[in-house]
Amino acid sequence: MNHRSPFTTPFTRRGLLVSGAGLAAGVALTGGGALAGAQATPGASPASSPVATTSKVAERASGEVRVTGFWGEPELKQLEKVWAAFSEKYPNITVKAEPIPSDYLTKIQADIAAGNVADVFMVQNEYAQDFMSRNVLLSIDDYMSEDGISKDEFYKPLIDAYTWQDKLYGLPKDWSPIAMVYDPDAFEAAGAAVPTTWDELHDTLTKLKDNKGSVQFALDPQMARYVIWLFQAGGSLTNPEVTEIELNSDAAKTALNEMYGLYKDGLSTPSADIGAGWPGDAYGQGLTSVAFEGNWLFPALASDHPDRKYAVAELPAGPAGKGTPAFTTSYSIFAGSKNPDAAWVAVNFLTGPEGAKIASELGLAIPGRPDLEAGWLELFPERKPYIEAGTYATSVQYGPGGQKFQQDADAILQSLWAGQVEPDAAMQQIYDTAVSDITLTGQ
Amino acid sequence: MQLAMSRQRRKPRNPTATEDAIAGWIFIAPAIILVSVFVFWPIVQIFWLSFHEWSVITPEKPWVGLQNYRDFFHNPDFKLAFRNTLWYSIGVVPVQTFLGIFLAVLANQKIRGRGFFRTAFYFPSISSTVVIAVIFLWLYQQNGLINFVLRKIGFSPPQPPWLANPKGVIQMALDTVGIHHVNPWFAGPSVALLSIMMMAIWTSMGSYMVIFLAGLQDIPAEVYEAAALDGANARQQFFGITIPMLRPVIFFVVTLGFIGTFQVFDSIYIMAPGGAPAKTTLTLGYLVYQQGFQNFAMGYASAVAIVLFAIILAIYFVQRRIIGRGDQL
Repeated sequence: MNHRSPFTTPFTRRGLLVSGAGLAAGVALTGGGALAGAQATPGASPASSPVATTSKVAERASGEVRVTGFWGEPELKQLEKVWAAFSEKYPNITVKAEPIPSDYLTKIQADIAAGNVADVFMVQNEYAQDFMSRNVLLSIDDYMSEDGISKDEFYKPLIDAYTWQDKLYGLPKDWSPIAMVYDPDAFEAAGAAVPTTWDELHDTLTKLKDNKGSVQFALDPQMARYVIWLFQAGGSLTNPEVTEIELNSDAAKTALNEMYGLYKDGLSTPSADIGAGWPGDAYGQGLTSVAFEGNWLFPALASDHPDRKYAVAELPAGPAGKGTPAFTTSYSIFAGSKNPDAAWVAVNFLTGPEGAKIASELGLAIPGRPDLEAGWLELFPERKPYIEAGTYATSVQYGPGGQKFQQDADAILQSLWAGQVEPDAAMQQIYDTAVSDITLTGQ
Repeated sequence: MQLAMSRQRRKPRNPTATEDAIAGWIFIAPAIILVSVFVFWPIVQIFWLSFHEWSVITPEKPWVGLQNYRDFFHNPDFKLAFRNTLWYSIGVVPVQTFLGIFLAVLANQKIRGRGFFRTAFYFPSISSTVVIAVIFLWLYQQNGLINFVLRKIGFSPPQPPWLANPKGVIQMALDTVGIHHVNPWFAGPSVALLSIMMMAIWTSMGSYMVIFLAGLQDIPAEVYEAAALDGANARQQFFGITIPMLRPVIFFVVTLGFIGTFQVFDSIYIMAPGGAPAKTTLTLGYLVYQQGFQNFAMGYASAVAIVLFAIILAIYFVQRRIIGRGDQL
């Protein structure tokens, strides 16, 4: 697949959305199902600078809107500019931000149960389907058509992540796929090339290890990383109709053997074994030269290890081509909100060209809107591979019951790494767990 | 004039029994109300909830009868959590009881710096469990202080490092004599769980020391003198006098110990969330949290909580049989 420059003509940008849909089974995971659905409206404005519109709904909306999320300190500070811009544009509506810095999922569940959760809250792709299937979120299709917001303004895999039974329940605030972050100096010293296939990855890691004398790649046994190899082997969690689990496929077994093989061959190590909290920490400390991480790595590096050099490249491709998981968060409206109109205006602004632009300047994640791509890349040119991964990234969603499945699958992977079970048996256990934990309702 | 004088001279009569009782109730009313609202009522509600299904984020609570309880037999998580919790309790309670008695006897001696030692041993018990857990999280790192000391004295630290190691310790011991792959129920607590147990013992032995100290001081010195006159040595005095006279305190400490260890949650949440590695640190208390707040199954979590309550109650009765309360505590 050729690398597309982000500074493309509008047609190619639309092409970016359509090809994202075309990529194999993974998209079905996200519950959207409509592979053919992503047609950009022919008349859509192709401007490379985002066009800001004024919400029609805002004309009848007023009052207070409570917004909550798990923003960290830097993001909260940045958001103050967003709130200021919002009050200027819509003086009738007051936004009250109520951050929940830790135990976010626990707290909003308690608030939802009590009926007093904020009107607008952040929903991550991991549990979005659990919420959508239980009617906790308000569908926004009507608001979108009233205000002339098209789904094409956002990357399709992200829209799919928040679509349930053909209705949309949130707009993506930002996202990040996983790419390869590496130390160019270490690569040069070892004479290693940036790998583009699984075999080249083995070569590169071996050269790095021989040069430095220790394993140079930290990889933890987690489902959230296993999916990298799964997608690259052409596998998927479910069939396109989302009625059957497909983790017993040959591709799934190949993927697990490849990922576990790196550990068995001494080319990867869990981060705890080398004294790091997570692979990003291992890279930042200089213990490793390669990390498979998302955008979240860079603010952590900037604050804890600002002198660490890095370069970014796309992940090596597997037998079925390139693949990478996408993680995203949305702003969604609570189904029981007392002020849904104002809540929609807030969501629209936060994810619209003005609000999202200010928020994305922090570089914590990639904006969910293609029209902000160019500006973002001007700020962070070295992160281009993340944008390019957007053409083949697949949103990671397991379906209702997915949280439990992820915990159980992580435990199985941990016992595989501990040598307590063989890879094929582990794969079978993961499949059985998926079948029992996840409730597939079909799309 | 006579009337005024008689009023002055009239003595206040003693309160009747009824007035006493009413006054008593009024004084404890605030405490009763608080405890009822925040302790008794939630327990009743949880019992009720255990017969329903509830995902927390939706208001519907359909009745499911005994299904949540029946699920225990099919659910590997519950068996795992029960097993881990059992190992945790069996490992922690005897050791912390014994160390409590040991430290109390030591701290009861008339040595210099006795006050300092009592304070030092007691200090961890009054610190926040969360703070201690975070500190131990750092101590147990691959390059943390514990491994550093181990390497210095010539031992090689466990690989993977402590909190990431799912191997059962009994299994590891049996491996050295060539017995591999023993039934998981007998593989013992994992190294990760053992790390948390050691931290728990270190934290709690001080508070049990204080309880035993109080118990020791209840034993009259004359008994020891009499025994010494009869020719009993220190060891005979310890096992013949100290332990038997401490029986009610031992019963109290062991009960508290089991209640506390069966409900362990804080340290697991900080040091090994998710029951990592490989669910070997998943305890019943953590299972309740996980099912209720992460897996959208609050009804099931309530059932686990009720079963936990039943188990602890059963242990209390078994203990009472075996150790006996001795005298009234």
